Amino acid sequence: MWNYIVRRTLYNIPVFLAIVLVLMIALRVNDPVSAQLGKNAGPEQIALLKHDMGMDKPLIVQYGMFLKKLVTLDFSERSWDQGFPVSEMIANAVPPSMAVTVPTLLITATIAICVGLVSAFNRGRFTDRMLMFLAVIGMSISVLVYIIIGQYFGAFKMGELVDGWPFQVTVNSDAGESPWFFFGPSNWLRYCMLPVMINVVVALGYDTRFYRAVMVEESQKDYIRTARAKGASVKRVMFVHMLKNAMIPIITRIMISLPFVITGSILVEVYFGIPGMGRTLINAIVAKDFPVIQTFTALFAALFIASNILTDVLYALVDPRVRLS
Amino acid sequence: MPISTIRRTCLAAVLAGAAMLSGTADGADEGLKVMQLPIRTDGPKSLDPVEGSTTYDNMACAQFYETLLTNKYASPMEMEPLLLTEMPTTEDGGTTWHFTLKDNVFFHDNACFPGGKGRKITADDVFYSLKRLADDEYKLENWWLLDHTIAGFNSFKRVQNWRRSMPGRADWLSGLDADAFKSTMFEREFEPRKAKAIEEAEKAWKSAKAQASGKELEGMTEAARREKIEQAASEALEAFHAALTDEDLETLASEFAGKGAAYFKSARFDYGADVEGFQKTSDTEFTITLTKPVYRFLYILGMFQTSVVAHEAVEHYGKDFARNPVGTGPFILDTWVPKQSLTANRNPNYHPVFYPAREEWSREDMRARLHRAAGKQVPFVDRVEFTMFVEDQPMWLEFNKGNLGYTQVPEDYFTEAFDRSSKELKEDFLRRDIRPHSNKLLDFTFRGFNMEDELLGGYTSEKRALRRAISYAIDLDEINETFYSGRRIVYDGPIPPGLEGYPENGRSPAAARGRNIAKAREMLVEAGYPNGEGLPPIRFVTSQNAINNAVSEMVKRQLAEVNIKFEPVFLDFSTLIETINKKKAPMFGFAWSSDYPDGENNLALFYGPNEAPGSNHYNYKRAEYDALYEQILTMGPSEERTAIYARMRDMVLDDCAYVGGMARERFYLMNPWLLNCKPTERYYGWFKYLDVDDSKRE
Repeated sequence: MWNYIVRRTLYNIPVFLAIVLVLMIALRVNDPVSAQLGKNAGPEQIALLKHDMGMDKPLIVQYGMFLKKLVTLDFSERSWDQGFPVSEMIANAVPPSMAVTVPTLLITATIAICVGLVSAFNRGRFTDRMLMFLAVIGMSISVLVYIIIGQYFGAFKMGELVDGWPFQVTVNSDAGESPWFFFGPSNWLRYCMLPVMINVVVALGYDTRFYRAVMVEESQKDYIRTARAKGASVKRVMFVHMLKNAMIPIITRIMISLPFVITGSILVEVYFGIPGMGRTLINAIVAKDFPVIQTFTALFAALFIASNILTDVLYALVDPRVRLS
Repeated sequence: MPISTIRRTCLAAVLAGAAMLSGTADGADEGLKVMQLPIRTDGPKSLDPVEGSTTYDNMACAQFYETLLTNKYASPMEMEPLLLTEMPTTEDGGTTWHFTLKDNVFFHDNACFPGGKGRKITADDVFYSLKRLADDEYKLENWWLLDHTIAGFNSFKRVQNWRRSMPGRADWLSGLDADAFKSTMFEREFEPRKAKAIEEAEKAWKSAKAQASGKELEGMTEAARREKIEQAASEALEAFHAALTDEDLETLASEFAGKGAAYFKSARFDYGADVEGFQKTSDTEFTITLTKPVYRFLYILGMFQTSVVAHEAVEHYGKDFARNPVGTGPFILDTWVPKQSLTANRNPNYHPVFYPAREEWSREDMRARLHRAAGKQVPFVDRVEFTMFVEDQPMWLEFNKGNLGYTQVPEDYFTEAFDRSSKELKEDFLRRDIRPHSNKLLDFTFRGFNMEDELLGGYTSEKRALRRAISYAIDLDEINETFYSGRRIVYDGPIPPGLEGYPENGRSPAAARGRNIAKAREMLVEAGYPNGEGLPPIRFVTSQNAINNAVSEMVKRQLAEVNIKFEPVFLDFSTLIETINKKKAPMFGFAWSSDYPDGENNLALFYGPNEAPGSNHYNYKRAEYDALYEQILTMGPSEERTAIYARMRDMVLDDCAYVGGMARERFYLMNPWLLNCKPTERYYGWFKYLDVDDSKRE
């Protein structure tokens, strides 16, 4: 297995190098220094920042310098907008994002798999149709609508109507400076539970339809009929036989979502004031914060590649038919 | 992620867990007056005044730092002393200014001072703080405020920044004498710049030649090529002499002769070096001499970028100074979570500053009970908590829950709070004792013409008529009603509402104010394009965003009615600026927000020497206008100056250098528990005047 991991990693190095190169070229199409400094910037000021950033050097030299930083995990470069080292920004933004995304992923996957199983088992009946109807409705509404309505009713209106209603409209100065603030149970309840619920509702439609399709396909296979014929209970067929054999697409789906656990969910973070990765990145894009955008994007690319490799490894672990070679 | 960061993160996790288990809660202690306020958008990017430029940097810095002068809370267009005992005085018409600092102003208590006790501010702190603007370590973000203003300051800036770069040259400087130092410096520094300029000129020549044809190509002879290259070399030499004058080189050479190359190995930006225009009389008295009398200098001394900082703090915190403000302001930073929140506690050693006296308030202000705290010492609250809001909905909901003292009224929520036509506050809000307030902002939104453009530029009657035809055909009122619910103020002239020089009722007879289709057609005839025939499409460049796209479509429709074809081009902001700076935009959409409350700031936008890439994006040049501008620079507020402002305004309007303008009106709501609040965006040192009445909280 280790051979496989090393080999896949080596195969993916050129992919990563190409992504970084494309990223660097794309970020330099319009001069990022002029964009950041704005209308009052003189040529002298522009030249200074370019020199500081090493952007007065040829692209290939800049590419080499950036790769070196990535390889040595040196993210000490400071944000143009905030003045903080990028490493610190990452360290501060990942925990709040995870306080929302990890529960979202776990709850969504659990509910969606169960609903998918129930739906597949009742294929064509009222229960199945009703569940899929709700899933399609869920998918058809914009995430922004869920957030705006969820925040208005879930935090504001209910707060007016019910004394001691826990959900808050936004994170205020109580949060202080610790990125782990959101992991306190009462803080999580006040600030993260509503965003998690909204995220779950948004994701459920897509995931349920996907898992139902997977389960329907599995439910038509011979081994299911055989198991039923041999007298296995519905519960056993669903949760032992079917679920186990459907693990490959389930893992694929979950692993695809895994990088987003780190990258956060932009809109939810922006609306609910959660200082996570999504919000940090979108702020950096708005502020034309070149070092942050460049580093974050390269890291996200690495994360996606790593999760792909991990997915393949997990295939082999859950399905003995898969051999890593 | 570096190991140290991971360790810090883990430590933070453990500490956070421990805090949770011990049941410790953040928040104010019982009995303290705590004020919660919003910062719209994501807040400040730096708490170092010299690095700040945005409204939100200003809002945050003004709580911790103070300037020599400030705006008056009761009438924010006027200035008053803050760190000074009185307004600066001058005997020579505005070249030399005398200042006297208050004798009782101390920096915040902070670990950067011996014993952690903040010391008294002195004249040296003022000089040090202004010198930081010249230090290229801070990217010269705000150097433009003092560029060519203080005697000897530009030279100081050049020499000190060269000094800072000298350690990299120390190796090739060793063994030289003073004369050789000068010639070697010139050779080593200038030659590469010259070579680069020639290379770029060659490249530009080749590219032009590749695109040229016919007669153009015939003119591109070898002699013409050589001429272009010589011109590039000569421009490079001129630029080099501007960056390192003979005088600067002499200063560096004399220092080199005295101390040698080894000394230059550790040369730094020397804050102790003299500036001709800074003269200290005593710790509290000093003089600043300007290169010429410039009245706006006093406004600049009220801008937060010129706040007084302590050198001990800058040296102690280094790069982290931007996160550790140590000033003389009414509040001391407690926590700052970027893009999230900022909290500050009352400065117990704040120097005596008093709430504006009763007579300073207008009758309207007194009706709003703004005079109730007259004469009392500020600040009134113990703690201020700012929350940043990138989206409007959470800010609006938090205000409605009573959790924020005041809020700007976002565009989308205007009709929820106010009647659209009368702009009166709705019953629901009045019942909750919520108070409204509005301010006209010093905005100038326009569609400018490049006066050097072949089609739209020029000063002949035909060219002027063409621009006026376009202006007459555009209906700004329709744009205002459609896109801004009529909440923008449409006015003539570049001077925004509330400032001297703003025309009565916003209208000037010199303006070609639309919509007037008959006049537009008449002007087209005069311009030589009857009914728009023969007129090429007008290329209009503006920044890419949803509202600009929609507004441009409307302008396109309006101009089509007089057969003028309008071609909008949408660019990202940096490309837009670059295009305008290179004078390649025939017509462009843009906005200007006044840096200080004086019409002179906006009239500078049409001053010839400020042509692109300067702030005169129109490249408007009129000798008479320029002479008047130079005259007003030295004048203080007076009827005579106002008359000149009006004359200059009408000159620009008559030449029709732009179509416009428009200004925003900002609406605010205040919860009943917030007292003494009269929001202004002119300055942000007014939070110290606010008070809270917790009995009025829901």
